[in-house]
Parts: sequence; C-alpha cells; structure tokens
Amino acid sequence: MWNAEVLKSLVAVTCPCQMVQSHSRLYPPHTVARHQVSGACSECEEEALWVIMCASVKYNIRGPALIPRMKTKHRIYYITLFSIVLLGLIATGMFQFWPHSIESSSDWSVQKRSIRDVPVVRLPADSPVPERGDLSCRMHTCFDVYRCGFNPKNKIKVYIYSLKKYVDDAGVPVSSTISQEYNELLTAVSDSDYYTEDITRACLFIPSIDLLNQNALRVKETAQALAQLSRWDRGTNHLLFNMLPGGPPDYNTALDVPRDRALLAGGGFSTWTYRQGYDVSIPVYSPLSAEVDLPEKGPGPRRYFLLSSQMALHPEYREELAALQARHGEAALVLDKCTNLSEGIPAARKRCHKHQVFDYPQVLQEATFCVVLRGARLGQAVLSDVLRAGCVPVIIADSYILPFSEVLDWKRASVAVPEEKMPHVYSILQSIPQRQIEEMQRQKWGSVSNPLFLPLIPPQSQGFTAIVLTYDRVESLFRVITEVSKVPSLSKLLVVWNNQNKNPPEDSLWPKIRVPLKVVRTAENKLSNRFFPYDEIETEAVLAIDDDIIMLTSDELQFGYEVWREFPDRLVGYPGRLHLWDHEMSKWKYESEWTNEVSMVLTGAAFYHKYFNYLYTYKMPGDIKNWVDAHMNCEDIAMNFLVANVTGKAVIKVTPRKKFKCPECTAIDGLSLDQTHMVERSECINKFASVFGTMPLKVVEHRADPVLYKDDFPEKLKSFPNIGSL
Amino acid sequence: MQSWRRKSLWLALLASWLLVLLEVFPLLHLAVPTRPRAGAPQGWPRWLDAELLQSFARPGELLEDGPQPPQALRGGSCNWGACFDTSKCRGGGLKVFVYPAAGPVSETHRRILASIEGSRYHTLSAAEACLLLLLSPDTPTGECDPVPPQWDGGRNHLVLSLHPAPCPRTFQRGQAMVAEASPTVDTFRPGFDVALPLLPEAHPLRGGAPGQLRQHSPRPGVALLALAEDRGRWHMAGTDFSACPWDGRCEQDRGPKQTHPGATLPNATFCLIPGRSPDALHFLQALQAGCIPVLLSPRWELPFSEVIDWTKAAIVADERLPLQVLTALQEMPLTRVLALRQQTQFLWDAYFSSVEKVIHTTLEIIQDRIFGASAHPSLLWNSPPGAILALPTFSPSPSDFPFYHLQQGSRPLGRFSALIWVGAPGQPPLKLIQAVAGSQHCAQILVLWSSEKPSPTRWPKTAVPLTVIDGHRKVSDRFFPYSALSTDAILSLDAHSSLSTSEVDFAFVVWQSFPERMVGFLTWSHFWDEARGGWGYTAKRTNEFSMVLTSAAFYHRYYHTLFTHSLPKALRTLADEAPTCVDVLMNFLVASVTKLPPIKVPYGMWHQEARPPPLEPGGPGLRQEPQPAAQNCINQMAAGFGHMPLVSSRLRLDPVLFKDPVSVLRKKYRSLEKP
Repeated sequence: MWNAEVLKSLVAVTCPCQMVQSHSRLYPPHTVARHQVSGACSECEEEALWVIMCASVKYNIRGPALIPRMKTKHRIYYITLFSIVLLGLIATGMFQFWPHSIESSSDWSVQKRSIRDVPVVRLPADSPVPERGDLSCRMHTCFDVYRCGFNPKNKIKVYIYSLKKYVDDAGVPVSSTISQEYNELLTAVSDSDYYTEDITRACLFIPSIDLLNQNALRVKETAQALAQLSRWDRGTNHLLFNMLPGGPPDYNTALDVPRDRALLAGGGFSTWTYRQGYDVSIPVYSPLSAEVDLPEKGPGPRRYFLLSSQMALHPEYREELAALQARHGEAALVLDKCTNLSEGIPAARKRCHKHQVFDYPQVLQEATFCVVLRGARLGQAVLSDVLRAGCVPVIIADSYILPFSEVLDWKRASVAVPEEKMPHVYSILQSIPQRQIEEMQRQKWGSVSNPLFLPLIPPQSQGFTAIVLTYDRVESLFRVITEVSKVPSLSKLLVVWNNQNKNPPEDSLWPKIRVPLKVVRTAENKLSNRFFPYDEIETEAVLAIDDDIIMLTSDELQFGYEVWREFPDRLVGYPGRLHLWDHEMSKWKYESEWTNEVSMVLTGAAFYHKYFNYLYTYKMPGDIKNWVDAHMNCEDIAMNFLVANVTGKAVIKVTPRKKFKCPECTAIDGLSLDQTHMVERSECINKFASVFGTMPLKVVEHRADPVLYKDDFPEKLKSFPNIGSL
Repeated sequence: MQSWRRKSLWLALLASWLLVLLEVFPLLHLAVPTRPRAGAPQGWPRWLDAELLQSFARPGELLEDGPQPPQALRGGSCNWGACFDTSKCRGGGLKVFVYPAAGPVSETHRRILASIEGSRYHTLSAAEACLLLLLSPDTPTGECDPVPPQWDGGRNHLVLSLHPAPCPRTFQRGQAMVAEASPTVDTFRPGFDVALPLLPEAHPLRGGAPGQLRQHSPRPGVALLALAEDRGRWHMAGTDFSACPWDGRCEQDRGPKQTHPGATLPNATFCLIPGRSPDALHFLQALQAGCIPVLLSPRWELPFSEVIDWTKAAIVADERLPLQVLTALQEMPLTRVLALRQQTQFLWDAYFSSVEKVIHTTLEIIQDRIFGASAHPSLLWNSPPGAILALPTFSPSPSDFPFYHLQQGSRPLGRFSALIWVGAPGQPPLKLIQAVAGSQHCAQILVLWSSEKPSPTRWPKTAVPLTVIDGHRKVSDRFFPYSALSTDAILSLDAHSSLSTSEVDFAFVVWQSFPERMVGFLTWSHFWDEARGGWGYTAKRTNEFSMVLTSAAFYHRYYHTLFTHSLPKALRTLADEAPTCVDVLMNFLVASVTKLPPIKVPYGMWHQEARPPPLEPGGPGLRQEPQPAAQNCINQMAAGFGHMPLVSSRLRLDPVLFKDPVSVLRKKYRSLEKP
C-alpha cells in the first residue's frame, strides 16, 4: 500500500545522483524547494509518484539531455525498472519504515571476465519442470516474508544467481546466454544497496537466465533451468523479468515459461494474466529511445493533432486509421513502413506517408496525440518512444495493464480509448479542452499538499499553550504571565528559560495563575528554542509570545485564538509586515511601513499549529536554522517562510495592532538602530528566498477583526469590545 | 593448605585466561573485515565483452510485432471493454433502472432503493436505461430472485448486495458486474466489479454521522493502537507493547487493558484490523473515528479501490511480521500520521457516512468508466470535497474548480461577472450597474430579467459589456449555470442591492484568497431553538454569522453547476416556493462542500438607510426578520441534507488599515469607511 514511499527510497538510494539531477532539471525551482522542506526522503507520496515518473517516463522523455553516455542511460532505465518492480513486491509493506542509509558502493572491486568463460550446465531431458504459473498467487499466499526478516533495521536483500550457459542433452544451447539489456539490468541491481552476495540472507532471488524475449528461448528447457536453481523452492521469492511474452499464433500476454510461484515483472500483461499486487507491469524497452537525442519541447499546439507511427498493424486497424486520415486531412498523419529506402538507412529510423519520408522518433514531437495500438502483443515499445517525445499517448488496447499502473495515475498523462470506439477517436480527443491537453503534455505528476488539509475547526475547549521565550527580564516576564493568564482559553503556560548563566526565580516568586505553568531550561541561548516541539505542549494551538509583550489585551488574545481556530493551518499574528521587490537593487526588501498589504506576521505574539514547531525544528530547509541562531535574528521571518511554503497560504493578521512597543527599549537611539535592523531583516528575506529557491510568502490586503468591530453597536453587547489600538 | 589453595587459584585463573584467549582469537580474526581478495566474485561481473552482447530483441522484432486479429471475448472472465455495452449510454449518460423487488423488502433494501431513486441517474424505463440494477435480497428468509426479464446474460447489469448474499447465487453472474461488500480478492474482477464497504445494519440513509476527528494531530497520551475484536469491539493498547497483540501467539502481556463494550469507536492513532472478511466492519469504524486502519493481510478488496487511493488513508501490512509492523507504526513520521488521519476523515465524509453516499459513489464509478477520458481525475477522487461533489461534467481540468488551486499551483481567473437578478418590480438597477461596472475587476454584467414587465431596450453605457438574460421567473433561476458566465468569480446581486465600487473591489480581492467560499456583505446566523425544538435563523446583528446573503456575494461559478445539477429537485422546488429559502439553500450547499463558514467583508451602514422599503415580503436580500414560513425552511433543508452543514464564524475580513487612526491618504479602500 505504501509502496510509493518504498519506491522513492529505493530510487533515491539506487540512483541518488541522477535523481537529483533530474529533479532540478524537470521541475521549476519552487517545487524543488518544497520538496526540500518536506525532506529529501519525506512522507509525501505525491513526490514519490513523480520520482517514479522522472525515472521512468520522464527519463524516456528527457533522459538523453541529462546523461551523455548511452550506457548510463540504460542503467537508469534498469535501476528504475528494478526499483519499481521491487516496490510492487513489497506491497505488503513491512519494510516501509525501515530506516535506510546511503552507503557508497563505488569502491567495489569487480570481477573482469569474459562471457565466453561462463560455466556450461547440461540439463538432462528428464529434469523436473516447474508447475505453470499459479494465477491465484498473492503476497500473503505465495511470498515468503520470513526470508526478508533478517535485517529488520535494514533494506531487503536481493541475490543474483551467477551466470551459466544452459545446454540440453545434445549440447544445444537453451537460450542466448544473456542479452545486453538484461546484463545492464543485473548490473544495476548488483550496484544497488539491495544486492547481497549471501544467498542465505536474501529475500528476493533473481535468476541470471535471460527471459526478456520469449522468442529467443526454448520454453520447456528454460523452465527446467529455472527449476534446478539452488533456492528455487517452487519459485518462491524469485523474480523474473520479461518484456516480450507469448509467441505465435496466440501470443499469450504473460511469459509462457512455467514458473510456479515466481513473481513476474512483465511487459504486456492483460487483466486476465495479471495478478494484482503480485506481478508488476513494466514498459517494453525501446532501444531507439536511448539512441536518439530529442530536444525538450514545451506544452502547446503542435503541427499534427493525431499521429500513428506503428508499422505492422492489423489490416483492420490500418483501414480505420486510413479512414481517419481521409476525414481529417492534415490534422491526422498515419505513417507506415518505407518501401523504397536506399541501402544503409536503418528502417527502424524512418517512417513514410505516401512518398514523404519522416525521421523516427523525431516526428513524434510534431504531434499532440500519438496512437499506441495493440499489436499481437499488448505492450508496445512505441509507448516509450511516444512518452519520451512528449506526445500524449492515446492507448487503444483493451484490457492492457499499463506499466506501473499500481502507482501511476495514467489518466493524467494519457488517453485510453476502447478498441470499439476507434472510429470516434478523433472526436473523443477533440472534446478534450486545450488546458487539459497542456496538463497532460506537462505530465505534472506531483504537487504541493497542505499538511493540514482537512477543513475542520478545532473545538474551543481545547485552548492554547502560551510559550514565553525569556532571557533575564524577570519583571517584564511576570507581567506578561499575569496578562496572558487572563485569557479565557489559555490552558497552559510554558516559559522557555534561555539563560544558562542564571537560574530562573524560585517557585514561590512566580505569579500565581489559574493554569499550569512550566519552566523549561535550555542548553544553549538559541532563538530556535522558541519553536522547539516541547513534549509539554498538549494543545494544537500554540501562542508564541515575547517576554515584553504586555500591550495586548485579553480580548485581543482571545480573539486571536478564535481566528486561529478558523484558520488552523496558518500563522495568526498581530503586527503585519511586508516583503517588497526592490527593482533598483534587484532583490527583496523588508517593509515595516503601515501599508495596505501584509505577507508576514511577527511572532513576538502569534498563534499557530504546534506541527509547525516540528517542521521548524526538523524540516527547515538548508542552513536556515543555524543562520538564525548565529545571527540571533529573523526566526519569525523563517517561520513565516516555512509555513507559507508548506501550506501555500497567506498569514492572517488580526486587529489593528501595528507594532509591539516595548517600554524598555525606547531609550536606544531609534533611527540608526532601525536602519541596521531593516537592512538585516532584508538580508534575511533574500537569504531565505535563495535557500527555498522561491519566494513562498503570499501578499494579502485583509486582516481579521471581530464581526462587529467599530460597528455602530452597543459596546457591551460585543464579544470582543476591548480590541486595543495601533 | 594456604599455598595449595593459592596455587590452584592461580592455575584456574591461568586456565581461564587461556580459554578466553583461545575463544577470542578466532573471533577477533572474524571481526576484522576480510578484504575482498582480488579476483574473488564480488557482485555481478563486469563482462569484458559486454559491448558485444546482443540486444534482447532484434530491431525489427519490436516494431513489427506481427498483426493479430482483434480479440474475441474470452470466456469466463469479463472486463469493462468486453462486457459492457457503452453505446446504450450515449446521449443521456448513465441512466439506471432498478428492478422492483419481488417480495417484502428489508429496511436496508428500502434505503438503497430510496437513494437510487433520489439520484440524478434514476430512470423508470428499462428500455431507456444503460445500467440495470438488481438488488440481491438481503434477508435470510428472502426468496432468491429468479432471473430478471432483461437479463441478457447479465450484460449492462449491476448486481448489488450491501451484505454478503445469504442465498447462493441462483444464476451465473456472467457478464453482470457485481457490487458487493468486501469481496474476496480471488473472485473480484478489477475494473469491472465494484467493491463496497461492509455497512453496519443501522447505517443512516443520508447525511450520516460526521467523522470523529476534532483536531488534526493526535492528542498526546492517546493510545497508539486499537485492535479489532469480535462484535465491533476494540481493544486498546498503549505505546508499550512488548507482545504482539494479535494472532494469539503471544497472548500473555497485552498492555493496559481497556475493552470497550458494544460497538464503540476506537480512540487510538492506529487500528489493527485482521484480514478476515467479517473484520471489514471494523474498517469503517476506524475510518469514522479517524483511527488509521492497519489492515493485516486483508483477503478482501478495499472499498472503491478502483478510484480511492488507499495508500493515503490506510496501511496494509503483513500479519506474518508483527514486530516489524509495530516498530514501523511507532516510528512513523509525524507528517505521515497527520496526512493519513485527515484522509480517513475526508474519505468517511465523502463516500461512506451514509447509504446514499455509498450508492452514489458506486454509480459515479460506473459513470466514470462510461466517460472514459473525461472521467474524474484521481485528484478529484482523493482530495476534498471528493468526486461526488466535483462534477466531471463541469470541467475535466481540476484548475477550473474552486478546490484544487493549491494542489495545482494555479489561481482563479482574475476578474468577475456580476449577475444582477431583477425580480417583480422590474426597475433597472442603474445605480448598482454603475457602481459595479466601476470596479477594475469587473469583466461583464449580466442582468437576469425575471420580471413580468418587459425588459427595457436601452441600458446605460458601461465600461464593460452588459447582457440581458431572460429568466423564467423562478428564484432558483439565479443559480443556473448560464454559459455567459465565463469568469470563475460571480458577484451575485439583486436589483435592490446597494454597493459601492470600493466594497466590490475589496470583496473580490478577498474572494481570490478564498475561492471555495462565499464572500458576502450581509449575514444571517442560525441557532438551535430549544423552545421550538428546531433550527432557526436570524438577521439580527450578532457576534457571529453562518450565512451570507446572495443578494450581494462573491462565489465561484462552479456552485451554479452544483446547485442546478446535484441538489435534489425537492429542495430546489422548496426554494422556489419560499424565496428567502434560496439563500439558505445556497449557503447549505456551499457549507456542506467546504465544511467552512462563509466570509464577511465590511458593508457601509449608509446603504441600509438609503435603501427603499422592501417591496416583497420576505424577499431575498432584506435585512428583516425571516417569516415563520422561512423559519421552517431551514429545518426542511436540514432534513434534506441529513444534517446541519452550516458553520459559524466570529470574524470579518477588513482592509489592513480599516478605520485605523492613520492618514486617509495611506488607505487603499478609504471609501469603505464612510460613516
């Protein structure tokens, strides 16, 4: 169920450098930033989804631009493939939460040998053949999880059987020893952290017998070869890879080799052969996709509306396509094999329409929609080419299980048309609005999700916890405590004593208040202590308040809490501040003038959900937390950035309050201090914006007041008559 | 004696040292990591001749994968493309015919029938229908129905059984789809059958109990685990579980024991549910309680698994690995716990809390299959307010709805259309038109002429286009999704309304921040009237409000579509009969979708003094006490919705410098402050 997450970690671990590269290339900076917030390996499945996509589909689309060498390309493909296959297997989920560490695998000494030297194994004609595949297999019936329980704090382990050459009694080979693609796939597995040398600790076993193409092997003898593997045991926990299943004349949609309980990662499954939650559907690899570099192409209208590029189609389908072309002329282009190509030009790279010759796969980039029709097999390599060209696939193959359909929402990037509706395919596609087409072309598989997305108003009875950060201003602190304790909804008061050189006053000296008061001593005088998720916080609502904020009235604070209840996912504060773009300096500027807009609230007194304390402490991107502690400033701006970035929402400023006047600090020469202060704050905004990779703050023109604020209405009937002033 | 003893002691010491050394040396030897010997097999070999390897398929093989004639239907198994004839659904979309029950029907049966008949898909003619629905009898005494007349091998049939069928199937399901509660994984045909939740006997018909979650994060100290027991009971276990609390294998220490009598809802973060089918009943309980379901190797298909992404709300674990599962749950990151908890509540409220929702979801899934490309995207199914409230006929693009801007990274379109409803007196609201047209955000003005008098031919010249639409003199007309409404935002107005340009400007800017809510100027609030034992509402100025009047309010144009196409006809008729009711109905609708209160923005008191006396009694948009008939309306609405959706708010959104003692020149919306 949580396979997406497993997968993400799999992918992240197996190909860390490539993934990072594709992240930053494929997504605008702000998305990357958001992902940093939620942590490189965080909990958001959406993210995982597009990790898969950027690895599989996205790779197909823009891969070549990222990695210059062909070999690496293959490898990513297989690493991804393998990871995703693995993920399907772990659908039972117990490995989900096992922490993982990224180990380096670069210093491996690898064996250098020739394929020709592999040992030969002779299979007697009467050696056992496994049962045919068991269609009722599910993870809980056919998979032995106990084998995976060895390293409970670690990843699952995969073992690869060593390569052998199998021959029958007469010495005739059973299949080709190994194909280029399967070799790359196994190399990728062996380079990953999941690989183990130790067969006794393995949870998954991968035979080195190449099953990718059923045409290239002898079915019965290959099955015999499988059955004599040392840990075969009816195929339990064995994973087989296949891309071209079946053979003439009936073309089964799954590998015909009897395989008993083995799991199958196959290309071209149909609903009849696919064992949901057990098998994994994979795309059919297209060598062309790796060979040719295609430039990136943004969304937007293209030259042809609909294109068909497949060559060997059933005559019935070809007739339908020809009829389509006849009806829609230029907008539809149906390509076929070229008949009169000169020598030396690979036929696979050209397509023709009448006498016009087109380069393939480049021509796919000229079309908005590309038809992917069922051939003899359901899985078609052209799907990979189409996706890579950024053409929206129109899949006409009833009962085809689309690749990785368990984790990918194909509706967002493709159109499926039933075979019987093929004559209407053009009008079906035309009814799709341009906006949706562009979304499909963009293939945006991920998005930001607010961590507190459920619309609910927490009960008032819960109250809030006030957290007062203090250093040594005891007198002022006591006044704040006394004032805050008058607020009806206060349920607890937490004093964070940030002074290590001085003990807090004795218990008897503290003001006597009606709610529990706790003092927490900190180990270091750091500003971030204010935002630590203390165990003592039992309410969801937190009021952060400075030890010199004594001007807020009880009504004002109570109203602030009521507003927070209506906006529990936002920062709710009193004085508002604004960020502005300084065109002359080309950077952000901090603004404390009394403007018509706000984008931040000061956390000298602000309500927010305690979850943001957790985020601030453990998920703050980059070095922002240390930066704040080092500069002893801007912790409030950092909090504003964090909340806005993760929720995508603006702050709520309540009541007219514009500044916190602190009586003790008026004496200092105001102006110059003010200016350095402004410069420092502006610097913070620029620093944070660069770390987040975007400007997450949202500007709004409203503030929240009580319903009857300043209305012509008897004051004594108002709920919050004493709302204070500027 | 002494020396002998000393000697033997020394000897023993020596011997033990020797032993220790002997033991430790080999261990030490083992502990030192052995360097990989050169040439020893390490990982998959890098073949010297790897470059020479052949590709797995010849280039031609992939491209010219030989043609095969179109597949004939294979016996035994069905899928959507093969066994459902969508051509019958052309035109009207999904139309459902229900076979009348043969004998006496149970209460549940009756509820299902009622909810299908109340849905927009229902039809009375079997010939017109594209889906024929057969309710399988659910009483043990019930006769097993004979094969119905239009059976036709089960084609385009849906056999629905909310409870596992007591009588063996008298006919082969054949090409009929089966919608049944918690079907076993083995017989379930994905993409064809529909998995339903296992509902308790007394599940409400509509409305339904809201989710139990009152706050986003788990309260500190709440039990980590609840384990499903027999008869809907739960066993609570604290954070300290040294033993695995299931399987009976380690029964002894079960932590702090606390068994709840009867079918109480569990109060824990995670709910462990065994995989047997009867335990599926616990699944819904857990969802409602906001307790994250942890399914231990379920042998049944999760409800509506075709469209609901259960990875976002539940955890499927292997019952064979209890300790790993427990560790995993304990160590689950807070962010994920938060997300899962909230998702359980959303799913409960959207699809499971009443029989009606379950049935509508089933039909919605089938309609999605018929729609194919223009079905609900997965996002609409899996984020609030859910697919039943997000009609795919409105738009295929999530960005067009008011709900998904955050996820899509989009914004509502930047301008609004003013829709002015002109009722009985038929006076063109010239002053209002000028005020609204003066707004920089106004894209167009539509006048909905619903008066007996003919509309004037000449209209004032405005900066924006003005169109007159002829209404049908029904109040509910004003919420019809006119095609001329091209902007996301609608400013709904009455001919009597009085607004200033700057009020309009500010309200629109506020609406852009809350596109899913209604933003209005005048408010009503609802209350529970103890004396009358029902709901009441008042227009009196109070410290809180729960409705805004649609005689002057901004909202998203999607609500017109929802109002016209998803509300039961009975409620709309009710609104037509008692005109103030239409405001209540619209507020009910939006609140039941958003679960949030509307937003109030400042409104100059001078409007009210300048306003002409009301012409129709109880006409919409009037600031006077609603009539008794209208008071009754709110109760009828509440009955129609099955619950009271309205939510109260205690705040008003004002401009940042509103009525502040600062220079007027600083203020952007200074004319809002006219006394």
